[in-house]
Amino acid sequence: MHSAAQEEGCHIFNDFGCGFQAPTTELFFPAPWVEFGLPGTSGITKYLLVLIVATLVSMAFWYFTTRNPKVVPTRAQSVAELFVAFVRDQITRNTMGKAGDKYIPLMVTLFIFIFTMNVMGLIPGLQLPVTSNLAFPAVLALFIYLLWNAVGIRRHGVGAHFKARMVPAGVPGYLLPVVVPIEAISNFVIRPFTHAVRLFAVMFAGHLLLAVFAAAGFYMFNPMSPMGPVLGGVSVLYSGIALFGFLVFTVFELFIMAVQAYVFVLLASVYIGEAMEGAH
Amino acid sequence: MEITGSLATIGYGLAAIGPGIGVGLIFGMGVQAIARQPEARGMLQTQMIFGFAVVEALAILGFVLALIQQ
Repeated sequence: MHSAAQEEGCHIFNDFGCGFQAPTTELFFPAPWVEFGLPGTSGITKYLLVLIVATLVSMAFWYFTTRNPKVVPTRAQSVAELFVAFVRDQITRNTMGKAGDKYIPLMVTLFIFIFTMNVMGLIPGLQLPVTSNLAFPAVLALFIYLLWNAVGIRRHGVGAHFKARMVPAGVPGYLLPVVVPIEAISNFVIRPFTHAVRLFAVMFAGHLLLAVFAAAGFYMFNPMSPMGPVLGGVSVLYSGIALFGFLVFTVFELFIMAVQAYVFVLLASVYIGEAMEGAH
Repeated sequence: MEITGSLATIGYGLAAIGPGIGVGLIFGMGVQAIARQPEARGMLQTQMIFGFAVVEALAILGFVLALIQQ
């Protein structure tokens, strides 16, 4: 029964009793093209292709906008300057002050790179946000984690850096046995974890949402329904509603992608700013 | 009555209540603060987004736990 349903294409108002199959998380585990057979690896999958495309796009963006910088910016250059000014005024100056200006190149690059990786979920043909695989945000978060620890240790020394992160100022001595473990776990374990997982989970959920809308729209489109032309027309109406929802959520998802790239960069610069500041 | 499905989904719903209230408070208070002092907008927006990101972490932990508990 079920195999027959799948052969004929399962749509609403059918006469062989098949139901809607929602897309599952298998979406995010594409079949590997090359397998290495090592435990814990997924081989070379579609993710690597999309990652390479995203890297080339973000590199090409900077190449074509800044290859010939002028004092009076051209149109392309002013777009790049817009991003740099945005990151400087909204992110680094607010979290690190003037001393954070040397991190602007890193933060702008991270912003553009993460945003490009997210947008790959909306490009027809690719349609897989790179950041919906935990491995990619995890590497970026690990890099930021090592960076802020290195910045803090170089500025204040090992002891002062870890003391500043674990012992909050103004806490009475008898509370320290409780506060220090909480601070240590939240700053050195939970913080890098949530930094990576936030980006991953939002892109994962958003992409799954779009996939459900697309699959539901396809499922509900059945103008040749065996139950008559009236229900066939109703199915086209349902499908149109699903398509409208899909388009609305695509625009919303584009906004979420930009916000998540912004949040990732903002948190990165907050962490580096705290490490530079040392003890309060 | 028989109910099937994953209990972890309900857990995620419960985990989203607190962050939902928190995010609402953060943005509500943030908009109020901007309305009272529009010139402090840049700094307030940064603090709003930072607070939002910290609060949202709880909901995200719930989401991840719901997915790995299948």
